[in-house]
Amino acid sequence: MFRYYLKLGWFSIRKNPILSALMVAAIAIGIGACMTIINVDYVMSGNPIPHRSDVLYHVQVDSWSPNDAYEDPDLPPEQVTYMDGYALWDAGKARRQTLSYKTGRVIQPQDQGVRPFELESRATTGDFFTMFDPPFLFGGGWDESADRGEEPVVVISREINDQVFGGEDSTGRSLVMNGQPYRVTGVLDTWEPMPKFFDVNNGPFEAVEGVYFPLSVAIANELSSWGNTSCWKPAEGGWEGRLASECIWLQLWVELHGESEKQEYMAFLDAYAESQKAAGRFARPVNNRLNNVMEWMEDREVVAEDVNVLLGLAVLFLVVCLLNTIGLLLAKVARRTGDISLRRALGASRSAVFSQYIVEAGMIGVAGGVLGVGMTWLGLQGIRGLYGELDFIARLVAMDWPIIFLAIGLAIVSALAAALYPTWRACRVHPASQLKAL
Amino acid sequence: MLSMKDISKIYRTDTVETHALRQFSLAVDEGEFVSVTGPSGSGKTTFLNIAGLLEEASGGVYELDGRNVAGLGDAERSRLRNEKIGFIFQSFNLIPELDIFDNVDVPLRYRGFDTAERRKRIERVLDIVGLASRSKHLPSQLSGGQQQRVAIARALAGEPRFLLADEPTGNLDSQMADSVMELLTEINEQGTTIIMVTHEPSLAARAHREIHVRDGQVYDGEPDIQLAAQTA
Amino acid sequence: MEIGPIWRALMRNKASYVLIALQIAVTMAIMVNAINIIQERATQMARPSGVDEENIFYLSSYIFDPDADFEAAIAADLMAIRNFPGVRNAILSNSVPLLGGGWSEGITLEPDPDMDSTGVAVFFSDENGIDTFGLNLLAGRNFEPTEVNWHDFDSNAWPPLTIMTRAMVEELWPDEPYENALGKTVYVHDTKPVTIVGITERMQAAWNSWSGVERSMLVPVLRGTSASRYVIRAEPGYRDEVMPQIEEMLLASRDDRIVNSMRTMEETRQRSYFEDASMVKLLVFVVAILTAITGLGIVGLASFSVARRTKQIGTRRALGATRPAILRYFMLENFLISTVGVVGGAAVAIAINMWMVEAFGLQRIAWYLIPAAMATLWLVGQVAVFGPARRATMVSPALATRSV
Repeated sequence: MFRYYLKLGWFSIRKNPILSALMVAAIAIGIGACMTIINVDYVMSGNPIPHRSDVLYHVQVDSWSPNDAYEDPDLPPEQVTYMDGYALWDAGKARRQTLSYKTGRVIQPQDQGVRPFELESRATTGDFFTMFDPPFLFGGGWDESADRGEEPVVVISREINDQVFGGEDSTGRSLVMNGQPYRVTGVLDTWEPMPKFFDVNNGPFEAVEGVYFPLSVAIANELSSWGNTSCWKPAEGGWEGRLASECIWLQLWVELHGESEKQEYMAFLDAYAESQKAAGRFARPVNNRLNNVMEWMEDREVVAEDVNVLLGLAVLFLVVCLLNTIGLLLAKVARRTGDISLRRALGASRSAVFSQYIVEAGMIGVAGGVLGVGMTWLGLQGIRGLYGELDFIARLVAMDWPIIFLAIGLAIVSALAAALYPTWRACRVHPASQLKAL
Repeated sequence: MLSMKDISKIYRTDTVETHALRQFSLAVDEGEFVSVTGPSGSGKTTFLNIAGLLEEASGGVYELDGRNVAGLGDAERSRLRNEKIGFIFQSFNLIPELDIFDNVDVPLRYRGFDTAERRKRIERVLDIVGLASRSKHLPSQLSGGQQQRVAIARALAGEPRFLLADEPTGNLDSQMADSVMELLTEINEQGTTIIMVTHEPSLAARAHREIHVRDGQVYDGEPDIQLAAQTA
Repeated sequence: MEIGPIWRALMRNKASYVLIALQIAVTMAIMVNAINIIQERATQMARPSGVDEENIFYLSSYIFDPDADFEAAIAADLMAIRNFPGVRNAILSNSVPLLGGGWSEGITLEPDPDMDSTGVAVFFSDENGIDTFGLNLLAGRNFEPTEVNWHDFDSNAWPPLTIMTRAMVEELWPDEPYENALGKTVYVHDTKPVTIVGITERMQAAWNSWSGVERSMLVPVLRGTSASRYVIRAEPGYRDEVMPQIEEMLLASRDDRIVNSMRTMEETRQRSYFEDASMVKLLVFVVAILTAITGLGIVGLASFSVARRTKQIGTRRALGATRPAILRYFMLENFLISTVGVVGGAAVAIAINMWMVEAFGLQRIAWYLIPAAMATLWLVGQVAVFGPARRATMVSPALATRSV
């Protein structure tokens, strides 16, 4: 019977080619618009590190001004001061802890023909590599003794390795940055966490830094932050003053497994806050936060507001396209009452008429869905064309299989949903009611 | 009142040329009740369409109320249909979405009467056909005979000079058909000219004059159809 | 002329007309709200930055030898740039309007840490700042060369003079004419006194989405560090020519220098409003496509409606309807459906806007958008229905006598 309905559906579609094309196009455009935005939203709100996102916690302690909250309503600062960051890292109360900030270095290739170039770099403690698990092409990170011993070691990206060392295994070799030699301990493979969760201060979809070297080395060299620095009280003079100031500019992450470790660490943070209060700092009520990766991404609202607005519009857009389809299907049914009542008179049951029309709508849905995937692709190309200047966009507009299946599924479900009411009306056509007029 | 002289009507498609009427001549006087009979395909409907200004003749002279209608524009023909002619169709042709009142109202709207005048006329004609109490019903809520009465009321509402009836009882059972015929006879007795196309000899016989059409011409001999009907 | 019967006929066959009305309503809701967003963005993008955008460009010079004499290098650079043919003036600053990154401070009227402070964007400058940026000095005076000093901010000192924008002084003293601010002293960091010596008409901060974007101050400071930003104003028409020449000159003058982030003000404006501009384009596209789909929907439905009612049209023609009367019937019918749609659409549009005001802090819709969108959709409906309606007028009246 199903094949018979397919055949009937095909005849019906062929009989009204323009109307059928209109319905397919409306569904396809609706799906295309909707899926384009859903795709962007899906990538933006994706989990950048699915296998570890539950054990990585972003640390916030409220060191802010006695007069104002850092951010309403009474939120603690989103970064930490050097004093607090170093003390918490030094205490080592979590399984692992990473304290880092973004800065810049000038890379001086030894090759004479190549001009030195400036590069965004990350000063970090060595647990960065075990916690955030970037893929290594060669070698690895460094251990705590390198942090404590201010050893000039460096991990470089694949791109920098290609540029400076021609893509060879450069571990053990020397990289000159701002006149100082650093020993390469590892080369990262391509790494594009989306969003760049460990530091969302300068835009959550920036590319990761090209070189990584010990925080202790950066502090010794008095390298200021290239990220955001906020102070509620001016720093006293000089680099020492900066380090001892209430300015926040570092990101602190810890690794904790399970609720009990989290509770323990929270207790430790509260005790730390009390000790600071005793020392005359932390004038605000104790307000420490531990957010895992996804909680933190949500807290920072990494999905741009524009995307949410567009998502709402896209859903309404799909609604319009579906209303369009329902209207056209209804018109079609109204025109075919004669045919339906004849079929009913010849013994078709209500469910048979229902199946016939639902199959036809399903065919339109499948066609709309397949075309909709094409439209989505076009839409994403359009977004890329529009936002092409921002290099992270190229990563936002990649389509994967789940999205393609979602598009087709959404199209079929939409077409069937749109077909329900018209089909129900078709079933109510009384047998023989229209035969007299034929 | 209606005079046709040597009217011809030719339908052309790419391959076929059909002569639906040829040298068709007929005169109908004021107050007459004329029936037109003939077998299927004889040209009855074409005659009706031309008489009712629904189609234009390919040749010949057609005078309606003393006026030659050849070459009139669409707007003028529409006005003549609206003012001078009342139509009664075999399948009633009531508008299903409109109730009885609004259906009768249709030609009056095109006539441009004011609201009070339209209401007065509608109530009067619905009274004549005996359906005044059903004015808020939809056509689908009425029987076939009642629907045809509504159609007659609609035809009468504009007080036309003559009625064109196309198989007015064709979709009705004999009892209903009788009552519709009685109504038409009454209307005719009050002065309205009626031309009725039918293939039913017993109905045709109730007219003042019977015209037989065959092969697109008025046929003067005995109508075959009568024989056919008698043997049936 | 015949609205009554048309309306009653519509009411007896509601379903598909209700759908098209709904579609029109949702289309209108999207249209109005999208245009509202477009207007908001367009207004933001149209704000002048207050500087000579056509002729200004800037670049970063980074001297990576930590032992270099930065102050001497900068002084030499500035002199070379100012003397460069095609250059009108140049300064060492920390930022430019709309750059996206800059320095901000809180200003208080009294040296009291408990007082609420007013945020202000800080631009470093010397006595050439007014001319280089092309600012319009409304009152007071420029800095004197003797008032400009090399400054180490880690030393925690603060220059005692400032030139503020009019928006900033009006924020500080909302009830007084702006000229009264001249000579008054305010406090940076709650403690450092600063005297206002001049007031400029306008100079935007580095952040276009900041509510205080019009609040800026110039301070007479030169800062000798490894990284310096030179803001350069070319003579009219010479900008594109001198840009690569200056870069080349700076690179040639030292081996230990990197020049990067060289950009014109025009490009800076584009980058600053890039997302807004893209959003506007997207929304225009969405509205256009949506209106087209709704128009096509009306065409489809009207075609069906005409096809379904051919017999009825023939009957009406037989009963005396002229061709224009038939055309009018369908146009009027569509007008009624559209009216239901746009009235509903106005309600939905306002509801969505109220929600967006709440959720995204958007502005309210301008009142005229509602009637404008209504008129547009009415027109779209009439244009869309015209084709099918014209086909309806072609129905022969002789159709009435046919039995099917």
